[in-house]
Amino acid sequence: MRVWRVIEPYIGFLLQGFALTIFACLLAIIGAVILGGIVASMRASQRSALRWVAHAYSDIFRNVPFLVQLFFLFYGLPELGIYIGAFETGVIALSLAGGAFVSDVILSGIRSIDRGVIEAARVSGLNDVKVFLRIVLPIALRVSVRPVGSVLINLVLTSSILSTITVNELTGVAKIVAAETFKPFEVYAVLLVLYASFTTALSLAIVAWHRRLNRFMTGA
Amino acid sequence: MRFADFTPFDLVLLAQGLGVSLALFLTTTVAGLLLGLGFAVVHHFRFPFVNPLIVAVTEALKNSPVLVQLFLVFFGIPALMQIRMTPASAAFITLSLNTAAFAFVIIRAGIESIDRDQIDAAEAFGLRRIQILRRVIGPQALAFSIGPIVGILVNQLQVTSLISVIGVFDLTKIGNILNLRTLEPFIVWAVIGSIYYVCAKILAHSGARLERRIRRSYAWGEV
Repeated sequence: MRVWRVIEPYIGFLLQGFALTIFACLLAIIGAVILGGIVASMRASQRSALRWVAHAYSDIFRNVPFLVQLFFLFYGLPELGIYIGAFETGVIALSLAGGAFVSDVILSGIRSIDRGVIEAARVSGLNDVKVFLRIVLPIALRVSVRPVGSVLINLVLTSSILSTITVNELTGVAKIVAAETFKPFEVYAVLLVLYASFTTALSLAIVAWHRRLNRFMTGA
Repeated sequence: MRFADFTPFDLVLLAQGLGVSLALFLTTTVAGLLLGLGFAVVHHFRFPFVNPLIVAVTEALKNSPVLVQLFLVFFGIPALMQIRMTPASAAFITLSLNTAAFAFVIIRAGIESIDRDQIDAAEAFGLRRIQILRRVIGPQALAFSIGPIVGILVNQLQVTSLISVIGVFDLTKIGNILNLRTLEPFIVWAVIGSIYYVCAKILAHSGARLERRIRRSYAWGEV
């Protein structure tokens, strides 16, 4: 196997990068889901100021390339006197970008809820906050697991861009290996397989989670 | 005045960068949509052995980072096949294939969304398969898929920023140059970001108008 001969001496190094990618993605996924949930509830709120701010955030972060957002934070934050590492900046940027997309999905989950359910909860004497936290959000999250999943898969693919700000995650490590071995094709082909396996595993996990959350649902 | 300050010439630079970005976006969109349509038609006619290949290639393209695909085409293919590759042609190949992969999935879903009964009816009228595809399936599949296609195009516009990494002088690369020279990241990246934002908005807006028009011209049976 020609590919294996090229990769073999660097396999530990590549796996280190892979571990960093997984770590960054897990942090960013947590950040994006929390941020997305908060922003989605802001966008569904009765106050127009909250709604406007949340909408502007998700609109901007969805329509500006991630690379530009990343450079803005990476070069801009030190100007503000905030000195954090490239890895932290990358995770923050990923969470911000992911949160914008996640909020969109959760918002449409919230909007898909039958008015009757909310009215029934109100009539039962729950106040607005409780209706939102106990009734609306659980249903919305249950509906949005699958679309959120595809956003998160996109997030994993986007994490490769962190290599441009000197984070040595999988793509960054692969760049080094490709430069040392002069075998870029083999290295990047292996990289494609690694990313594809990570995203496939993630999508399987999401399908399983979706099934588990909806195990009491009948029909759709 | 320092030599590093902003000059009026920077506007020319920005316009050049925007031109490169848009030109690459437009050409890869046309190539990608045509290729994706070709894949979908081939897939529809079920040639032996071809369908699994198309599905495998498009899945691989959809499930791997565009940056890695760019590196594979720009660094990998020249090293493997001993050919020359300019950054622009590598960017064109990668982005076209990428758009084609997403377009294929959407158009295939559009074709498959059409009721089997309609095709049976058309066959009963004696239409040939190619006629059915053009007259029955095509228009409805177009109306079905135009919305999602505009969605991926807005996304692809942002993906074009990645070609700066392999050295194409697009808008993001110009931003990089200005940023390194002026050391004003807030101004530079805010300007670059808003240019992309405006382009994306124009694209989404005109896409929505096109979608409305197509849907209106195909709407029938409603009074």
